[in-house]
Amino acid sequence: MHFYLSTLAGHRKGVLVLLAWSLLEGIPAFFGGKLVGSAVDRGFAAGRPLAGVLWLLAFATLAVVGALGQRQVFARLGSVVEPMRDALVARVVRGVLSDPTHRRTPDASAVAMITRHVEVVRDATAGVLVQARALLVTTIAALVGLATTAAALIWLVVLPIVAALVLFGFMLPSLAKRQRHAVMADESTAEASGAVLTGLRDVAACDAATEAYEDIARQVDRQAKATITVAWANSLRATVIAIGGFAPIALLVAFAPPLVSSGQLTTGAVLAAVVYLTNSVNPALHGLARTTGTVVMRLMVALKRLQEAAPRTGVEIGDEIPSGGDFALRDVTFGWSPEAVPVVRDLSLDLRPGDHLAVVGPSGIGKSTMAGLLTGLMPPDHGHVLFGGVPVHRVAPAVRHHAIALIPQETYLFTGTVRENLALLAPRATDEDLVEAVNKIGATPLLDRLGGLDAALGHGGEGLSAGEAQLLALARVYVTSASVVVLDEATSHLDPAAEARVERVFAQRGGVLVVIAHRLSSALRANRVLVMDGGRPLLGTHEHLLKTSALYGQLMLAWDPTHREETPLPKR
Amino acid sequence: MAKPGDALLFSVVRRDHRPWLLMLNAAVATTGGLLLPTALASAVDMALSGTFVLFTVVWLLLLAATEIVGDAIGIVLAASATSRATAWLRRELSRKLLALGHPSPFAAGDAVSRVTGDCGNAGGIAVTLITLLVTAVSSAGAVVALALLDWRLAAVFVVSVPLAGLLIRTHMRMTADDVLTYQEVSGEVSARLLDSVSGLRTIASAGIAGRETNRVLEPLPRLAAAGAGMWRTQARMMWRAGLLLPAVEVAVLTAAGFGVMEGRLSTGDVLAALGYAALGMGIVGQMTQLTVLERTRASAARIAEVLDTPVPRRPAPKPSDGVIELRDVSVDGALHDVSLQIPAGTFTAVVGASGAGKSTLAAVLGGLSSVDSGEVAGHDSVGYAFERPALLGSTIGRSIGYGTDADEVQVRDAAIAAQVHDVLVRLPHGYDTPLADAPLSGGEAQRVGLARAIIRDPEVLVLDDATASLDTVTEAKVDEALTTTLPGRTRVVVTHRPATAARADLVVWLEGGRVRGTGTHRELWNDEDYRAVFTGGQ
Repeated sequence: MHFYLSTLAGHRKGVLVLLAWSLLEGIPAFFGGKLVGSAVDRGFAAGRPLAGVLWLLAFATLAVVGALGQRQVFARLGSVVEPMRDALVARVVRGVLSDPTHRRTPDASAVAMITRHVEVVRDATAGVLVQARALLVTTIAALVGLATTAAALIWLVVLPIVAALVLFGFMLPSLAKRQRHAVMADESTAEASGAVLTGLRDVAACDAATEAYEDIARQVDRQAKATITVAWANSLRATVIAIGGFAPIALLVAFAPPLVSSGQLTTGAVLAAVVYLTNSVNPALHGLARTTGTVVMRLMVALKRLQEAAPRTGVEIGDEIPSGGDFALRDVTFGWSPEAVPVVRDLSLDLRPGDHLAVVGPSGIGKSTMAGLLTGLMPPDHGHVLFGGVPVHRVAPAVRHHAIALIPQETYLFTGTVRENLALLAPRATDEDLVEAVNKIGATPLLDRLGGLDAALGHGGEGLSAGEAQLLALARVYVTSASVVVLDEATSHLDPAAEARVERVFAQRGGVLVVIAHRLSSALRANRVLVMDGGRPLLGTHEHLLKTSALYGQLMLAWDPTHREETPLPKR
Repeated sequence: MAKPGDALLFSVVRRDHRPWLLMLNAAVATTGGLLLPTALASAVDMALSGTFVLFTVVWLLLLAATEIVGDAIGIVLAASATSRATAWLRRELSRKLLALGHPSPFAAGDAVSRVTGDCGNAGGIAVTLITLLVTAVSSAGAVVALALLDWRLAAVFVVSVPLAGLLIRTHMRMTADDVLTYQEVSGEVSARLLDSVSGLRTIASAGIAGRETNRVLEPLPRLAAAGAGMWRTQARMMWRAGLLLPAVEVAVLTAAGFGVMEGRLSTGDVLAALGYAALGMGIVGQMTQLTVLERTRASAARIAEVLDTPVPRRPAPKPSDGVIELRDVSVDGALHDVSLQIPAGTFTAVVGASGAGKSTLAAVLGGLSSVDSGEVAGHDSVGYAFERPALLGSTIGRSIGYGTDADEVQVRDAAIAAQVHDVLVRLPHGYDTPLADAPLSGGEAQRVGLARAIIRDPEVLVLDDATASLDTVTEAKVDEALTTTLPGRTRVVVTHRPATAARADLVVWLEGGRVRGTGTHRELWNDEDYRAVFTGGQ
């Protein structure tokens, strides 16, 4: 909300220009009643049709001026609303992409929701600007016009309107509350039906169609009730506004007779007053009632959701400069929360350039934690992860990002040329460097098939298999100058031969290589193995672990149970 | 043109009395609204005559009250009719989708959008129809009222109606292009954001969030340009709309002015003419209701499509003293002519490469999904656990007892057997933690899914890769617990782990939806292709 208001304030000039044009739009409201009154009073009723027609033509001319003003207002709306939308999108995208936790990554539907919320904010802002502004300008212009024609009656007109607006203001909080409940009930309905309908298999397996139906029906009925509750509030609001709009007219005609007979009010003045009320004030009041009820509420909800989707971005800090490219882990413990059982417990480990470590263990056990710790994305709860002698998460970001590269399982490919995608992390790499890296990784046939570096890639590597996408991601890191490379199941979609080749070329590249293994065969290629199986981490060479760790033997046995423990497994 | 959903819309309107009340109320309010300008004219004439006539003022107040109260009642009645119709459609649709069961012919996301979006649209049918009717009636009424005042007024007004129609048509044409461009560019930004979101870990570890933000936002200037174009279009439209009403008003006022001059009309009648002109133009603003009606019908068609889908035949499995027998079972695209026998009380492993039809076979074995041809004989007491269970119910405890009337003790015992009790008691509110607030890892969710199968005390237990995310030690404990808690039950396990296959009494090896072989793991292991299932071809 704060961000929204400050963005709007940033376009103060645009808003002011908008208001200036609004004044033009208010001209018919200001003169309209007076002109119609004069046309009858001094024209037609006085037997002067020409004068009457001329007064009406003046009315028409002012209407054209007013419409011109309105046209300008709408044309200028773009210069306020569109930059506001740009700023909002930019902030949300930056927030999503810089989310330091990135634990729960938004999926396709979440991204679609973000787009929808942004559109709601855009439309609602425009709606509020149009309606609130029109109300302000029109009501004031009409009331001033009224005061100049029928000054004697002005209090009869102003008091009911002010009373209605005040009452309306008092009703707003309860209305907002009901609206919020309705929106929440709406979301619960979507959640309940979403949970059941995506879990139809499990509903059938539990033979629980009745309970599932009741879960949905409960939310559906609650939502229906909430909607009706809002309708009651809306109905009350509409009544207050309608009475506030009509009471002045009734009071006017009831109190006018003595004033007319005493000559204080002319026919034209009475006519003008009624026209002001029916043609200007009433429509503006009804517009206000409509806008505040729905549009403002939608605006608030959308802004709140956007804020949740894109929390305030954390700035990366750290200014330590490492000396050397060694890793030293000392009694490192890490858990997802203070209560949770740690994923990594008391791990000590040294990695020197030329080291090749494989991390093995069942999927879902938290092997990726190692990647987070080594890249400095997740500081340990206890102990130290030292890179070149300093805590890795405190190393100056520019240095850290250059020295340590991570290739995660999920590949990042974006729309653009193959060259842009390959040079993402090494913008200064030459075409020869890129082609060389592609060749080393074994992706030359893929590059040829795509049509070389200038070939265009679609969204999300459209048209590439998951394995091909991984090859491009691997070549992208191979071409960098990173001295530490962490492959986090980065070869999961390659066939075993291609995987072996990739691990070999990265090992030959020098520096530190950490392979978070998808297949146990990765362990056979590494010169050290870290076993994560929920308990204390085990560290050693493949042969050493086979001799000393029953668990490692078990793991390897699970991989190939026909071999006895004493004659283990494929040779390295 | 009748659409498939029209019959459904008809029954939606017919099943509730509220639409009739709404119609009655609208009739009263509209009558009040139509009489109001005349009453106002009389009141103004009374005021101008300088004498207060109680009857005139009371009549004006009465009509205004009728309209205001009618509108107020109308708001509640409309919301009530719409929300009840929506709720009814949602309940019917959910019931039907649940009856269609697994696998559903409608994708989950699509089904949800039918339940939430389409039912909401279709539920508004009565209100949309009545709004259209009321608008038409009050516009027609306004023209009649003008004619009653002075036929010339009506004639002048009627000439302006085609103008209004023209305006709406050009509006539709003008906005289409801009809106399309805007939506395209907006979709492009979304697609770029989705790309980057999928690569969040790459972006975070390389510290390139700033650069990638700019990449996502690259199309923004085009979006802003398209947006500005939309506003300009809107401005042109408002310009026309802003001119139309005053033009009609001036025309009617001029005609009325001459009426006043020639004594046909009173001063107040001028106001009445103005009021009726505005009322008659109301139909212009309500033209969008026709679009709403079309949308409603399209949504109703999507609901009817689901309601008209026949429920697949699911005959009760033939009792067969515990033996599960499949004879020439085929499931379109997944299984072909599968025949096999699983003796009671045995431990059977189902293995095969991904896409071989393992999960479909598991689903068919226990009667979870229907078959296209062939016969299944088996038990009707089957417990299922999955690799990625969808946990349902309000709380984590309830998700274990889902679909049963199990009490807290039974829930806890099942959780203990599934080795997940220790995890659940550490949640913020223990077993009463709402599912949405229970952050479970893949392995923990799997164990809750196991507990859900155990609590049903089934004769047959089908585990569809249900321990894939457990470490070997926990898996062994779960295995042991299953044997003690549910002794002697038939167990069918879909697995990727050779160690599990090695423990099984019988291994069913699937390939391309057919049984490639059956036997013990040791017998099958001699086949190179069988070994490849576990080693990925090394």
